[in-house]
Amino acid sequence: MVAFLLRRLGLGAITLLLVTVFTFFMMNLAPGGPSAIMNMQTTADQRAALTKELGLNHSVPVRYEMWLKDAITGNLGLSLDTQQPVTTLIGQRFPNTALLAAVTLAVTLLVGIPIGVLAAVRRGSAVDRLSIVMSTVGQAVPDFWLGIILMIAFSVALRILPASGMVTAGSAFSLPDLARHLVLPVVTLTVVMLPNIVRFTRSAMLDVLQLDYIRTARAKGIPMTWVYIRHALRNAWIPIVAVVGLIIPLLLGGSVVVESVFGWPGMGRLAVQAATDRDYNVVMGVTVFVGGIVILVNLLTDVVYSVLDPRIRHE
Amino acid sequence: MKRMSVKLPIAVVLLASLVAGCGSQGSTGASPGGGNAPGGNGSGGNAGSVATGTKTLDMATNADPNFNPWSPTGFLESEPITELVFNGLTKWGLNYQPEPDLATDWSVSKDGLTWTFNLRKGVKWSDGQPFTSADVVYTFENIVLNKSLGANGASNYKDLQKVVATSDTQVQFILKKPWASLPTYLAYYTKILPKHIFNGQNPWKLTSFDKGQPIGTGPYKVTNYVSGQYVELQPNPDYYGSKPKIPKIIFHIIPDVNTQIAQLLSGNLEYVTIPDPALVAKLKSDPNIQVNAVMSNIWYWVALNLSEPRFQDVRVRQALEYAINRKAMIEGIMKGYGQEATGPIAPVQQHWYNGNVQQYSYDPQKAKELLKEAGYTPGPNGILQKNGQPFVINMPTGQYGVLTPASELVQQYWQAIGVKVNLNVMDWNSFIKQVVVNRKYDASLAWWSTPTDPDQYAYFASENAQTGYNIPGYKNPQLDKLFQDANAATSDAQRVQDYQQAQDIIAKQLPYLFLWWPKTIQATAKNLTIPNVGLVQAEDHVTDWTLN
Repeated sequence: MVAFLLRRLGLGAITLLLVTVFTFFMMNLAPGGPSAIMNMQTTADQRAALTKELGLNHSVPVRYEMWLKDAITGNLGLSLDTQQPVTTLIGQRFPNTALLAAVTLAVTLLVGIPIGVLAAVRRGSAVDRLSIVMSTVGQAVPDFWLGIILMIAFSVALRILPASGMVTAGSAFSLPDLARHLVLPVVTLTVVMLPNIVRFTRSAMLDVLQLDYIRTARAKGIPMTWVYIRHALRNAWIPIVAVVGLIIPLLLGGSVVVESVFGWPGMGRLAVQAATDRDYNVVMGVTVFVGGIVILVNLLTDVVYSVLDPRIRHE
Repeated sequence: MKRMSVKLPIAVVLLASLVAGCGSQGSTGASPGGGNAPGGNGSGGNAGSVATGTKTLDMATNADPNFNPWSPTGFLESEPITELVFNGLTKWGLNYQPEPDLATDWSVSKDGLTWTFNLRKGVKWSDGQPFTSADVVYTFENIVLNKSLGANGASNYKDLQKVVATSDTQVQFILKKPWASLPTYLAYYTKILPKHIFNGQNPWKLTSFDKGQPIGTGPYKVTNYVSGQYVELQPNPDYYGSKPKIPKIIFHIIPDVNTQIAQLLSGNLEYVTIPDPALVAKLKSDPNIQVNAVMSNIWYWVALNLSEPRFQDVRVRQALEYAINRKAMIEGIMKGYGQEATGPIAPVQQHWYNGNVQQYSYDPQKAKELLKEAGYTPGPNGILQKNGQPFVINMPTGQYGVLTPASELVQQYWQAIGVKVNLNVMDWNSFIKQVVVNRKYDASLAWWSTPTDPDQYAYFASENAQTGYNIPGYKNPQLDKLFQDANAATSDAQRVQDYQQAQDIIAKQLPYLFLWWPKTIQATAKNLTIPNVGLVQAEDHVTDWTLN
């Protein structure tokens, strides 16, 4: 197990390094440039001065080398846009995204797994059909559209929920206030994420329910509910864990669209703004950070696998 | 300029506004969660507040600001905030003329090269330190004129040689060339910074100021800033002028304009600038919201790359102008919020404006005749050609505001007279790089936003043809001389005459193809009273704003 972990961590580090190379060169070779320089009101000599000021007067490979040397020591450089350390910016934004992600994940699992199980157990029933309709709709509805519709309904028409932000500006922090701001972005993200969980849970359960040992358990006269939860769901967990492993990085990267629509101050918005402004250092910082999370979550998923299913051995 | 991060289809908003229409009648500013929410009855003004009102004013900005008004990374998202926190030597009058601010009066020498400004006495920075001539000298000598910094807007001051203090309360601006517009430009985003804070520091790296608690002389000061969320301003007790009536202004950082509008409709914002005229329809039907359209002197244009011989023929430029149905474009794209432009000086600058110049009403027939005169004949598949070369125009367009739809219409109008247009849509920074930096285009559509001043020399000057603001690369010594004479003129009548002539030449020669002067659209809650001028001009009179 230790050897497996070390091997996987090594592979992860190499993957991350390749990602940084790819991102750095793609971004620098793309047309355009940092907003400070690409401004209609900037003259040629100002552009030259700013290029030097922002340290962009070296070749791309040289700049990558400089960036990498710093990054290895944990220094992700300064934002070209705000001149603040990139780590500071990520530190400001990541907790907000993590909060949104955690609440969304909890709601998605608490709602999605029971629905998936129920749909599998009562295959072909109204519940099952409803779950299929829900999944289809959830997958088809664009998140920005849903966000705006919810906003129109609950903020503009009914005026019972705030339309944007994380807290009420200018007032003291309070938990109820934060909760009210969470509702609309969480609901929007949940509707988008739910279909994956429901469909995977349903099909995993269906697979397990056809197996011999379930028939055996039934034949022994064990109560049905107990069979479903104790026997079937235990084996159905594995594909579900895989899906959760896929969803977590998505959520932690920050939902670009939902954060923009609801003015949520998270990583997604930071990344979009940085990409738009060609704030190279912030783009790189976010890439490394989110990339690292993806790699760790993947590793963690594999570890959870082997805990859940003793048959899987990482030798 | 910062862009919206995510551009949402307008259709969604229009659809949504239909849905919303049923729920927004007659509700007063009750905001979610009641009393302590923005738009509710505020905090009643905190102790020591000097304001007479009790309500918080909520406004929006679309990205995190930079509080340093000269920072090369501060744009539209910062200007409405820095305008309240800092002062210039002059400020905008409601008639768009410069008025005293940190300077009380000024005079110019006979040769037009030395301007003397007397400074207001007893002004304090918001940290209690006195404001003196040293601050003015520092701002210009160490920041604006320091070429290695590339300060935003510094290029407006390229004819300024130096600024010297003649006493604690008097400064002199020494110019390389006469510049009658200096007092106007000093009101145009030219804020004075505190020397005692910046001395010896790199002004772009002083994050405690630029992203923290800036020190200004203006009517408001920043009391709280939460990254990605909001900026809170309260009256500056040390401000020299009359006290603001609004005890708190909060700029909410909301990247998406549709969300800003939803917040306005739900009573959580009292002011939004509407970037896209298509969004106005819904707002007009809401009884609590007032929509104002303010005339501006921004001018939209199409630049033809004048380094190409084919565009150096004035008949070709005129033909391409005649071929564009500008009335239809203003109706379709601007929803009527604009006026066909005859040149760079707008009617809002009535003292200088010359409407009596050559006009180009939509006339595709005339366009075809002019192109025929210029030697173009229809070739196979209807595309005009000359010397066997088809008339093809490559037109990059940036995704910003209405630029892309406007370019698409221009493409259609030109194709209708037999000119093939290849549109290439790209993001804004790429567009700037290709068109402004590399000058790689045949035609491109954008706009200039300038002070309400007739001195538009920079956009036409021969010396700016390759690298500066003169994007089309137009060169005309006669026009150069008129602009220079106007700047050196000793009488107002002489200046007026020079600009009238300049407008006449510009209309005949079409260095740019002029499109329209847009109106700026502002949506406000009915209980907010602000002057009916552009936002930054109105902010120079923020002490008169009321919120009931």
